[in-house]
Amino acid sequence: MHDQGPMVTRILDTYLATPHTWYMTNKLDSNDHSAGDRAVARSYQLDFWPGIAAYAVVLTAVLLWGDLDGSSPWRFVWAVLPVIPSLWIVRAVLRHAKRVDDYQRLLLLQALGGGFAVAMVASVTVAFLEIAGMSFVGIGWIIYGAGMLGWIVTSIVVARR
Amino acid sequence: MNNHLKALRESRGWTQGNLADQLGVSRQTVNALETGRYDPALPLAFRIARLFDKPIESIFIPDDADVTTER
Repeated sequence: MHDQGPMVTRILDTYLATPHTWYMTNKLDSNDHSAGDRAVARSYQLDFWPGIAAYAVVLTAVLLWGDLDGSSPWRFVWAVLPVIPSLWIVRAVLRHAKRVDDYQRLLLLQALGGGFAVAMVASVTVAFLEIAGMSFVGIGWIIYGAGMLGWIVTSIVVARR
Repeated sequence: MNNHLKALRESRGWTQGNLADQLGVSRQTVNALETGRYDPALPLAFRIARLFDKPIESIFIPDDADVTTER
């Protein structure tokens, strides 16, 4: 019987010297999400999107039947109804924060901190401008928008740093 | 802090995603570890050491600033 060892070694050497090695090196540097990343993202979406859908439904109901400009005392109940699905969304974000690892939690905390800081600065600025005699329509929405924008921008900055 | 994580990972033929799954962290976290933007907490450092079957101090190399006691 012939010894197959040297031939196998030659085949392996040839195989490892081919572009396969080049391909693997690039593959190792790929930015593909891991299975764990996808599982975490899937769980977050399963928590998050029902809240968004419920918010859209409640908001539509409020705009259609809430009669917020009317005089019924029930309009105050209608006005706070969207808070319920909003709390669901807050729950989704908090559950996501518990699910992710330490580094991602650090990034999330920094992003939330950025949003909070922007919202606080916006509210103080608007409050002083009001004292100075300027009037605002939908002031809560201005602060909300500033906070959300701050959160999004900080998220992008800390993720790319 | 510097580390040999990328070299160790590549020596095993793993992608960042493979390593992330074995450590129970995100690929983004592995990338941050390899580029020195993030120093792991002790439990993660021990998981890395166990996975590569090496002592922690042979994987992570502290900078002078990490070991100095001056503030």
